Amino acid sequence: MKKIDVNCLLGNWPFRKIRKNSFEDLKEVHKQNNIEYGYVSSLNSIFYNDPFEGDLELHELIKDTLYKHILTINPEIPGFIDDIKKGIELFNIKGVRIYPGYHGYSLDSKYIRKLCMVLAENKLPLFLTMRMEDERLNYLSHPRNIEATELAEFLTNHPENKVVLLSIRAGEILLIKDMLNFRNNVLVDTSGLKEWLFVIEKLTKDIDHHRIVYGSDHPLYCLKSSLLLVEKAEVDNSVKEDIFYNNANKMI
Amino acid sequence: MCLIIDIHAHIWGGKYEKDKEEIIKACELYDISKVYISGLRGYYPGKDEINELNHEVYKFSKEQPKHIGGFCYVNPVNNNCLDVLKKGIEDYHMEGMKLWVATYCDDPLVFPLVEKCIEYDIPILIHSFKKAIGQLEFETTGLHTAELARMYPKARFIMAHLGGNAYHGIKSIKKYENVWVDISGSIFRRDDVDYTVEQIGVERILFGTDMAGSFLVNYGQIEEADITPEQRELIYYKNALKVLHG
Repeated sequence: MKKIDVNCLLGNWPFRKIRKNSFEDLKEVHKQNNIEYGYVSSLNSIFYNDPFEGDLELHELIKDTLYKHILTINPEIPGFIDDIKKGIELFNIKGVRIYPGYHGYSLDSKYIRKLCMVLAENKLPLFLTMRMEDERLNYLSHPRNIEATELAEFLTNHPENKVVLLSIRAGEILLIKDMLNFRNNVLVDTSGLKEWLFVIEKLTKDIDHHRIVYGSDHPLYCLKSSLLLVEKAEVDNSVKEDIFYNNANKMI
Repeated sequence: MCLIIDIHAHIWGGKYEKDKEEIIKACELYDISKVYISGLRGYYPGKDEINELNHEVYKFSKEQPKHIGGFCYVNPVNNNCLDVLKKGIEDYHMEGMKLWVATYCDDPLVFPLVEKCIEYDIPILIHSFKKAIGQLEFETTGLHTAELARMYPKARFIMAHLGGNAYHGIKSIKKYENVWVDISGSIFRRDDVDYTVEQIGVERILFGTDMAGSFLVNYGQIEEADITPEQRELIYYKNALKVLHG
C-alpha cells in the first residue's frame, strides 16, 4: 500500500532533545514503515526571527529528493509574500505552513487574509498547525489555543483556499464536521488523533474519509502511533489507501 | 508476538457497557493478554460511587476472567476506605490499589492504605501528572509519589503516565527502586520512552494505555522506541508480572 506523510519536520525543538531529527532518521523511519516520502517543514523556522533562513537550511537537506518542501510563514513578518515567491522559485514549495498558536495572531487578522489571497492565487494549500505539543506540557512557552469557533469562522471566510489541519484532535474534528463534509478542499491529518479507541472507525462514520490524510508530526510525535491507527483500523482497504495516499496525492 | 499486559485502563461511570465492549474488542483485535481495570467517574467520589465503580470492575473481571483483572479504586478521604480496600482485595480478588485525584498520594490519609497494601503484597497505582495548565487541587505529581516511596520502601508503587510530563516525573522518582512507571495516557511524544529508559532503565517501565482511551498510541511508542526485542518483552509483560506478584 502506498503511503505519504503530510506532516513531518526537520530541525531542532528548543524545549527538549529530539533524538531522531536528522534527514537520515526521517528517511529511515519512513522506509521502515513503507512511506514513500513526506511533506516536510522546518522546525527551526518556527523560532527564527526570519523563518526563511530555516527554509534555506531545509532546502539544502531535501533538494533533489522525493520529499516536498512546505514553507513556514509568519504573516506578521514583513516580506512574507516575497518569501512565498522565492519559495516557489527556489524550493518548488508545495504549500505554506503556519503556527498561529506559536506566533500569536488570530485567524481573522488582516495578514492571514492577505496570505490566503496569495495562496489562492498560486494554488498552494495552507497547512494550519493546531498545536505542536499537548497543551499540558508547554512549560517554557504558552502558545495560544485555536478555538473551534475561530477555526470554523476562518474556514467559512476562505472557501477558496485548500487547507490541511495538522494535529487536530478527534473531538475538534467533530465540531467542524459539517464544514468538512460540505467542503472538498479541507483535510485533517492523523497526527492528533489520540483520544479514542477505534478512532478512524468512529471518525469515518461522521466525516467523509476523503477528508483524512496520513500525517505523523515526526519527530515530535511517535510515527508508529499514528500509522497503526490507520493500519489496524477496521475499515476497507480502499479507505486506508485513500487516507495513506490518494487523498493527499489528489488534494496537495 | 509477545504477551501484552496493560497495567492501567478504566471503565468510566455512566458508560460501563460501552467501555467494556470496546476493551474486550481491543483485547481480541490487538492480542492483549490481560488488562487491569479500575473504575473512575468524579474527581472526589463518595462512598456509594466508589462501591458502584469497584462492583462494576468486579463484574467485568468475573465476566471476562481471561482478559480482565481489577485494581481497587479508593478515595482516602472517605472514612470507610480501608473497608473498601479489604472488600476489593479479599472479596473481589483485585490485584492492586488505585489512587486518583481526591488527595495527594503523600497525604497522611493515604498512609494506612499503603500499610495495608504492604500486608496484602499488592502494588499501588498512582495517577501522577505535572501539568502546565489545568492542574487539579490535589492532583499528585512525581514529587508526591517520590515522597511516598521514600516513606514506604517496602511498598510497590506504579507512577502512572510517566508522571505526565516525563521530564518532571522520571527525575522525581529516579532514585526510588520501589517505583515503576507506566506509559499510559494520551501523550505520544517520540522521545519519552527512550528518555525514560536512559534515566531509570527498562526494568521499571510498564505498559499501560488508559483505555478506553487509545491503545495503539501507546503500543506504537514501544514499537518505535530504540530498544531491543528483549527489552520490549520486559515492558510489555515481564515487568508487570514482577510488580503484580512481588
